[in-house]
Amino acid sequence: MNNRYIDRILAPLLFVMMLLTACSGAGAPDNRSGNEPSSLAAGTEGEPRAGGTVTYGFPSPFKGLFEPAFYEGEDDLRVLEFITEPLFTVKDDLTTVPGIASWQESADHKTFTFKIKHGVHWQNGDELTVEDWKFALEVIADPNYAGPRYYSVEMIEGADAYHTGKAKQISGIRVIDPYTLELRVTAARVNTIDNLWAYPMNKRYFAGVAVKDMPNSTQVRKAPIGIGPFQVTNIQPGEFVEMTRFDKYYKGKPLLDGVLYKVFDDKMITSLFEQGVIDMEQAPRDAYESLNKLDHITLMQSPDLSYEYIGFKFGHWDDKAQKIVMDNPKFRNKRLRQAMYYALDRQGIIDGFSNGLGKLAETPISSESWAKIPEDQINRYPYDPGKANELLDEAGYKDLDGDGLREDPKGAKFVIHFDGMVGGTNDEPRTEAMLQNWRAVGLDVRLNGGALKEMNTFYTMVEEDNRSVELFNGVWGLSNDPDPTGLWRENDHWNYPRWSSKENEQLIRDGISLKAYDRDYRKQVYYDWQKLINDEVPMIFFAERVTITAVNKRLQGVKINAISPIIDPYKWWIKDSE
Amino acid sequence: MLKFALRRLAGSVPLLLVISVLVFMLAKQMPGDGLGGGLNPGNKDPRYITEMREKLGYGDPLVIQYIRWLKDAATGHFGQSFLYKMPVGELIGQRLPATLLLTALSLLITYGSSLALGMIAGRNPGSRLDRLIRTAAYVTYAIPTFIAAIFAIYIFAVVLRWVPLGGTVSVVTSGGLSALGDRLVHALLPAAVLGLFNTAAYTLFLRTEIVENSGKNYVRTAVAKGISRSSVYNRHILRNSLIPLVTFLGMDIGALVGGSVVIENLFAYPGIGTLFTAAVSGRDYAVMMAVTLMTGFMIVAGNVVADVLYGWLDPRIRAGYNGGRS
Repeated sequence: MNNRYIDRILAPLLFVMMLLTACSGAGAPDNRSGNEPSSLAAGTEGEPRAGGTVTYGFPSPFKGLFEPAFYEGEDDLRVLEFITEPLFTVKDDLTTVPGIASWQESADHKTFTFKIKHGVHWQNGDELTVEDWKFALEVIADPNYAGPRYYSVEMIEGADAYHTGKAKQISGIRVIDPYTLELRVTAARVNTIDNLWAYPMNKRYFAGVAVKDMPNSTQVRKAPIGIGPFQVTNIQPGEFVEMTRFDKYYKGKPLLDGVLYKVFDDKMITSLFEQGVIDMEQAPRDAYESLNKLDHITLMQSPDLSYEYIGFKFGHWDDKAQKIVMDNPKFRNKRLRQAMYYALDRQGIIDGFSNGLGKLAETPISSESWAKIPEDQINRYPYDPGKANELLDEAGYKDLDGDGLREDPKGAKFVIHFDGMVGGTNDEPRTEAMLQNWRAVGLDVRLNGGALKEMNTFYTMVEEDNRSVELFNGVWGLSNDPDPTGLWRENDHWNYPRWSSKENEQLIRDGISLKAYDRDYRKQVYYDWQKLINDEVPMIFFAERVTITAVNKRLQGVKINAISPIIDPYKWWIKDSE
Repeated sequence: MLKFALRRLAGSVPLLLVISVLVFMLAKQMPGDGLGGGLNPGNKDPRYITEMREKLGYGDPLVIQYIRWLKDAATGHFGQSFLYKMPVGELIGQRLPATLLLTALSLLITYGSSLALGMIAGRNPGSRLDRLIRTAAYVTYAIPTFIAAIFAIYIFAVVLRWVPLGGTVSVVTSGGLSALGDRLVHALLPAAVLGLFNTAAYTLFLRTEIVENSGKNYVRTAVAKGISRSSVYNRHILRNSLIPLVTFLGMDIGALVGGSVVIENLFAYPGIGTLFTAAVSGRDYAVMMAVTLMTGFMIVAGNVVADVLYGWLDPRIRAGYNGGRS
């Protein structure tokens, strides 16, 4: 009886949510689609009140690198999001705006003057000054720095000389007073601020610790401090982190007394939520159905900053020239690629195998981003086997020997090999469904080597352009800034399809040119680029992944977006159960 | 006997060398090196990856990489964990106590209960109690550990809430003796499940041995001499029936360190087992090497212990210690 009740309430609610998403997506691009339903689903009942602790779950042991400059995985990041904050704020539409720090840009876009707020405190009592930020930039640029973030400081003038040990100072950083910092960058880039490292590191706290010893220092492992709303009180390596509220937090005293971040095994997640052991966690998509049945749990959805794609191999990477070479003729025919797009029942596969958790995507820019092209301006490649057949016939792929499978235009057997990764429980039947879709339009697509591959094997083969890899089903993350450099240029190693074109290169360059400081111009460039990609189909964009965050209804004030499920946790509060 | 034990342990060095070569080469043969693949292009600056590969020496010939590792290992440096960014020794030191507690407790449960159950069943073959124990043992034997684990978690930790769920310690601890108790409570369920399979097997072994031995001539002699039934069972039969179990004990001691990979992962119990799986999937070579070598060494040591125990149980075996060699 209970379940039926939920169905009756939730089904219309879901429908309304979908409607809202659709409306805001089409009509007003500024109205962030993802957040409407989530804040609606979270509900705010009653007046916020102080007190109580919540348990935030995570599915695997954390590594314990609690310093933004060094952490590598989401496991440590989730803790950092409670204890510290960047100096800039990234909004829901993925634009970077002033936060603790605000800035002025010189006319040539090469000099920035940053001012930070007064009265922001570290959890050890020190006041935040720009020296702490300068210190963080120096740590990352240090020759002995072994973390992955050098890209976020390399645009600073003199960072290169410092990084190679040729200079004792980074010439582009100048402290004017404790609250003012001047930064010179090597060239004008429209996304300088988006890429710039924005987390401070307490200089005094790290005094006497050499950069190479930092990852394993007490300051990082045992007693990390930040400027965020919660401070670490107890760390049990790999198991839990206890945090209590930080009363001098600059945005105001947090409502919760504390947060317990604890590791649980995913297999038990539904029971744990049912029993109220966990209050909040990003849940695995497999658990969606069972969690959805719990009436004291809200499931919030947000598009992830990542997309699933099926790439075509157009060539290989020339290591000497550091450039792609498009020498594989297999998928050169655009109509073949488009036909394969039409032949895929993407929505059906998402509904059938992923509980509908996926948002169809046709371009590699997040649907949350200001630069995402409206859906009515591109071809959405709806499931249309008829259209696929038509395109294949036009392109000369015809079934000549009557076996139901098409031969290539020269009349030879046409077999396509497909590669994918093993991960969740549904991966094999899901892949089989895709292959069936293509077979239905007469394309003989087979699993390369007869099986899906383990992740490392898969990416190694794709990366080294193994001859047997033709069609590959991968996932890419997206950064906040829509600039496709890094994945889409001809000299990008991560350009796995090994595809590019003159127009592609030109548009990507335009998008970060001086003219792109005009936001409307930049937006138009990315619209044009997305149209190009949409027509060329260098890869079949399958869908944006959707993350689900389960939240116990006793926990109020939660808001999530594409970047994180932990936004302003100082506003979280616990509703009285009585 | 000490000399014997030491000689055996010293003899394990070449074996460990062979293991280390094999593990090193196989680990390096795995596709990927922990730096490729991945999701986030922001973290995947190609220059950083090239730089790191150079720094870690991944580009050098395998033999050179191995020799470099061996040199460090010989001086007690097992390197830096690539994943956790800390010295492997420290990392293992952090995880080892939890695993040792878990496996030692599991050994205790396994041997304690299988001795008791095996003796009861073996003394009364064919009785109702015997049949009950045997049936239970067969059923337990047939259940895969991971299934038993999930059921056990659900029943005892989720529904009944007798034991805590996951982890090795409670969040709030008072320290001292109660802290140890707290750790024991956390290890109890995973230890019981870990020992379940072996308990069933050993119970059945012991029962068969006891039944078989009780038909032997020396037993009839002892009974004829007028020794009481319980004394015959406890002294003569049990001692002879324990020999096959001792072989298992040797291996179980070896498994103290590395034998709980599945259980630790299922119970979210961060010990050596979870560390090892993370190291394999993250291509953390230094950790993989250290854990496998430690496990290898423990198995050798366990077998030495077993050999010593054989001698204690059966003097005929002890005679072999010196024979032939000295």
